[in-house]
Amino acid sequence: MSNTQTSPAINWEIGPIFRAMLRNKVGAILIALQIAVTMTIIVNSVYIIVERNKEMQRNSGIDNENSFFLTSIGFAENFNVPVTVAEDMNTLRALPGIVDAIQINAVPNSGSGWSMGLKTQSGAEYDAVGTAVYMVDEHGINALDLEIIAGENFAPTDIGLRVVGQVDWPNKTILTKAMAENLFPDIPYQSVVGKTVYINDIDPMIVVGIIDKLQAPWVGWNNLENAMLSPERMDFKGSRYFIRTEPGQRDRVMKQVEELLANSNKGRLIKGMRSVEEARERSYRGHTAMIKILTTVMIILTIVTALGIVGLASFSVNQRKKQIGTRRALGASQSAIVRYFMLENFLISSIGVILGAVLTVGLNIILVNTFGLDRIDWFYIPIGMLVLWLVGQGAVFGPARKAANIPPALATRTV
Amino acid sequence: MLKMTDVKKVFRTDLVETHALRDFNLHVGEGDFVAVTGPSGSGKTTFLNIAGLLETFNGGTYELDGQDVSNLNDKKRSQLRNEKIGFIFQSFNLIPDLNLFDNVDVPLRYRGFNSAERKKRIESSLEMVGLAQRMKHLPSQLSGGQQQRVAIARALAGEPRFLLADEPTGNLDTQMANSVMDLLKSINAAGTTIIMVTHDGQLASQARRNIYVRDGKVSEVNDTDAATAPHLAAV
Repeated sequence: MSNTQTSPAINWEIGPIFRAMLRNKVGAILIALQIAVTMTIIVNSVYIIVERNKEMQRNSGIDNENSFFLTSIGFAENFNVPVTVAEDMNTLRALPGIVDAIQINAVPNSGSGWSMGLKTQSGAEYDAVGTAVYMVDEHGINALDLEIIAGENFAPTDIGLRVVGQVDWPNKTILTKAMAENLFPDIPYQSVVGKTVYINDIDPMIVVGIIDKLQAPWVGWNNLENAMLSPERMDFKGSRYFIRTEPGQRDRVMKQVEELLANSNKGRLIKGMRSVEEARERSYRGHTAMIKILTTVMIILTIVTALGIVGLASFSVNQRKKQIGTRRALGASQSAIVRYFMLENFLISSIGVILGAVLTVGLNIILVNTFGLDRIDWFYIPIGMLVLWLVGQGAVFGPARKAANIPPALATRTV
Repeated sequence: MLKMTDVKKVFRTDLVETHALRDFNLHVGEGDFVAVTGPSGSGKTTFLNIAGLLETFNGGTYELDGQDVSNLNDKKRSQLRNEKIGFIFQSFNLIPDLNLFDNVDVPLRYRGFNSAERKKRIESSLEMVGLAQRMKHLPSQLSGGQQQRVAIARALAGEPRFLLADEPTGNLDTQMANSVMDLLKSINAAGTTIIMVTHDGQLASQARRNIYVRDGKVSEVNDTDAATAPHLAAV
């Protein structure tokens, strides 16, 4: 025999390990399946969490941090809504710390509001594009902190008074850019100014302005970015006021306004005072709960999988003590034994993550078809594989070190 | 070639201190075939473990192939074991999930041979023990004698200077034991130094030299072949 010795050599035993696993496969298959299922659930969960987080971070278009709203409900017999609203607005707009205030029918992202359909042609036979409706006066743009990117704001003379049961609409509107592009996809949004759109199938409204962004009240609505402003005050017993404050003044102003309005007119109740931030948090409560639940499930699953790997590896080490001692006697260093178990786990994990990648896509297809979620981004899968590989390697490291500490002299003992 | 001088080995627990080897002295020359006998608990296996670098010792010096091995780290000891020593165990210690080819391959991989070299050595050593046709079989498909032959092939594939055998025929019937013993003698005749621990006096008598261990010391040396190998007599 020649004495050819090549590389000083890391002893990669992929072939023998794989063949040995095939002869003793139940434990390996169970762990690989566990890894596959864990990866499937974790990757899809992370994807859902990221998507939900993105939704929660969406820009509502208004000044969330410095705005709040309340409801004024008149109950006295002689309660005059238009007069009271006008007095309240004068008072509020003059109050130090307040940027602007308006009467409004609904608050973005708050969960309740109005929606209508707008058409580019008059007639019931044409399809409408759904939109949220915000009734505001000429202060609406400033109070909501919106930006007009084309056209102009309402003039004071444009503002009408809506009464209960009224079905007709003013002849002017301001649209969000998204709504303008949905209605007129073939022209630039700037060109939508001056166009006529139809509400209630046949009532014409001229688009006088385009705002950059304003979301609808319903955060789960497909047409969330579609909104229109209608130049109206409301003669309703229950009036919602929307108030924007100077930065950092909101909480102080909220207390002051509640007291001021309650004392200014004893024929009404002030209720439902809430910051926009709180309203958004309530609207996204389902998202928050889902994120918490999915995170908990992911953590538990990861721990269970890691424990499974630790359990199998520890069992395997205990069962193979003599074999490990023999390997040590035949020349395996401690690091070679650690490497053996790490490599064995890597092979099992590889089978698991490859199967997991297939299952991940499968589950995502089901989620897309059943719940209308978006298709998963491709890069989640390699990241998921890497994470599960690392979990496996981390979990097996302890038992592998334990194996490496088995003395070579065990080979000559009867175990 | 293998020289132990005043080697001591003490096993300690909280309550008990056991002196497994006391001032153990032995010199084994190249090409020797030494049988180590002695009663149970005399220190035979401890000697074999220390000789094979499977265990460390507490005092004295041990030179293997001219190298002082007293203070080597695990990596060096493993490397030395792999390169210079072949082991044959009483219960064969084959890895049950690996076929014969892969079993013989184990120490060669630790040695860092390339796959062509490993294949050549595996086939050659299995050929030498008469099992080349069964290299794809699992150990469980072989008789005890055949399994020990595989273990011998595994020990020889790396062409070690020493073969350390721990009761190599202890689990075999007489016929198989003789066959294994014949194989060991032919390996020794080809130049490999063999140290064999055994209870069996009849087997020990077939070695060139007999060492009797009692109470952790070499108490008697009997050179059966001293006339032809005078250098082996010194203790």
